[in-house]
Amino acid sequence: MSADGAPTRAATKTGLRDWLADRIGLDELGNTIRAGQVPGGASLWHTLGSVAAGLFVLEAVTGVFLATTYTPSVTGAWASVAYIQDQLTFGWFVRGLHSFGSSALIVVAGLHLLQVLLFGAYRRPRELNWMVGLLLFGMVAVFALSGYLLPWDQKGYWAKLVEATIAGSAPVVGGSAQKFIQGGATFGSTTLTRAYALHAMALPALLTGLLVFHIYLFRRHGHTPKWSLSTEEAAARATPAWPDQTFRNAVVGLLVWGVVAVAVIARHGAPLESPADPTSSYLARPEWYALPLFQLRMFFEGPLEIVATMIIPAIVTALAFSLPFLDRGATNRPRDRRRVLTAAGLGLLALAVLGVTALAKDARNPVYAKARAEEKIRGETARRLALKGVPADGNVFRNDPAFHAREIWDERCAGCHNLAGAGGEKGPDLKAYNSRAWIRGFLTNPDGPLHMGPAKIDKGMRAVDGTPEEIDALVEFVYAETGAADADAARAGRGRDLLSPKDCDTCHDLDGEGENDGPNLKGRGTAKWVAAVIADAGHPLLFGDRNKMPKQRNKLTPDEIDEMTKFVLALKGK
Amino acid sequence: MAVEPPDQRRAFLKLMTAGLGALTAALAIIPGFGFLCGPLGRRTGRAGASPLRVAAERDIKPNRPLRVTAVGPHEDAWLRMEKVTLGSAWLVRTSEDGPIRAFSTVCPHLGCGVDFDESSGKFNCPCHTSAFDLDGRCLGGPSPRGLDELETHVEGRDVMVRYQRFRVGTSKREPIG
Repeated sequence: MSADGAPTRAATKTGLRDWLADRIGLDELGNTIRAGQVPGGASLWHTLGSVAAGLFVLEAVTGVFLATTYTPSVTGAWASVAYIQDQLTFGWFVRGLHSFGSSALIVVAGLHLLQVLLFGAYRRPRELNWMVGLLLFGMVAVFALSGYLLPWDQKGYWAKLVEATIAGSAPVVGGSAQKFIQGGATFGSTTLTRAYALHAMALPALLTGLLVFHIYLFRRHGHTPKWSLSTEEAAARATPAWPDQTFRNAVVGLLVWGVVAVAVIARHGAPLESPADPTSSYLARPEWYALPLFQLRMFFEGPLEIVATMIIPAIVTALAFSLPFLDRGATNRPRDRRRVLTAAGLGLLALAVLGVTALAKDARNPVYAKARAEEKIRGETARRLALKGVPADGNVFRNDPAFHAREIWDERCAGCHNLAGAGGEKGPDLKAYNSRAWIRGFLTNPDGPLHMGPAKIDKGMRAVDGTPEEIDALVEFVYAETGAADADAARAGRGRDLLSPKDCDTCHDLDGEGENDGPNLKGRGTAKWVAAVIADAGHPLLFGDRNKMPKQRNKLTPDEIDEMTKFVLALKGK
Repeated sequence: MAVEPPDQRRAFLKLMTAGLGALTAALAIIPGFGFLCGPLGRRTGRAGASPLRVAAERDIKPNRPLRVTAVGPHEDAWLRMEKVTLGSAWLVRTSEDGPIRAFSTVCPHLGCGVDFDESSGKFNCPCHTSAFDLDGRCLGGPSPRGLDELETHVEGRDVMVRYQRFRVGTSKREPIG
């Protein structure tokens, strides 16, 4: 408002607000909005459409935030999502809103659809808007399905793989459809970039356009009042949409956003499983909204499968689109539309039963529980390792010292040693190395195929001869030297006393200093000892002249020897 | 009655506008369509070209299938990677020193990874409960065919496998990639 209210200035508008109002036509726009009436009066029933639209806005805004960090590449996708989830300020919250918000959007859009169905709001003259609404609902579903893949974690990868394969099972066009979705013959880089382009570019543009059209058509035809009101009654009870209805919309909208936010906080954001591993046996399950279809497929095997994946969904979709023309009820009253509402109710019940069946079956399935537990550990490990920074090739497990150790093992050790319990090529098999069983095997048959046999040591150790109790005691003694916490001290002591009677001490000293024919047994199998063997097993305190294992001291860094030591020590427990 | 010349002119202009608009649109739509459908005709991934070492022969015990991973070079659109896990295979031999057979772990139904169940001695798919015997034959469940056998041979001490993927969901075995 102009501070200067002089009548001479009244004709020419002044002030920024008026200037804008004049340029934009703000008053006309405002009048158009304010002119909207709700026949039959404002109601909570009518809030669902705008709450769904509001959730779409939430998705759009959080989606833009996520896109500032998300990287749509097979090597970067999981890493960037893990970064958002575990490191970025409020990352878990924004991602959580986006993920849980999409579930809320499906629920609210579904309720909106049911409300329209119940009120008969799909009927003349709103047939077209009903179809536009169905299209919007379908787009929300495609949104959700494409978004599910983007983190490139196990569940997204496998769910999408199954979906693409289902598309591939369509007659005639299946193969091409699957290639089109995947961006090639197999899953890979282009599968992800395509899903991303669809999810973050094409669908937002299409859905926004269609939503504007939906709202335009809605404004043109207005609310459908409750069936019990006659046209005259509805007109008499009409209230202005602004602010009577909009206030209710705001209340319900805030409530839904609040529920989403609380869920996000309670669950600390959306789940993120371990990075997609195409070689794993993953128990693929779709997101909750697709579970009924998943379960439906279980009833149709082999060539009949497309009944569940295509034919039934296609029939339901066709029926839904033609509903405005099939419904011949005289009025909007439910009793005049009994067939439509019964069919819809039965359909809804079927969805619920199928969904619950799928959940209940998995809840009872021990295989499923085990797979979930394994994935939980793998996922947590991956995310912990990701905190160190994900290597450029996207393989976060490279950060795990054991992974690196395994690579060194494959390169330097596997040529002679084995880990499978099948015997090494030139050295001992280290499966369960230094466990009681391994030690017992060695003492009773040092040149066996699992121990020093393959090394073909000249004048090696003789097999220990004794009663079972004596062998037990000697095994326990060697076992105790490894520093094992569960060693039986008394029995180990008896074993120690047997060293001399059994002639062990002819070749083996026990003081950590004597350089005898055989390895000095003090601390044999401890971390320090294993590290020394890896560094140079030919040391006089160790295998001396009889050693055949190449020195690793100059080939591995001290850190790598340390990693390998841990790797070897860990074999005991496996 | 004859049409007024300006109207005739305008009718022509309208037609031309529509035509030019269509031409402009075609300029974007035709290459765009080709761009989108490009991957349909293109080979992606060069995996499976040569046999890869997957295990030591002595590690394969009778009736104890061993799950191995095939690590090798892989091309994926614009990426070329030297050491990538291409997929997994089950190595099976049914007698001591008998021949080794390799089966892809990819379930021919919808592509989940097939597990081996030691108690029943069968391969099971965790997703939709297809089951297979040690010869890869389908024993039950929705799988349209048996497990896909991979070319394998023993080279010295090593088991070599030519890793390949096959189209899933079809009764006929069709290599892809």
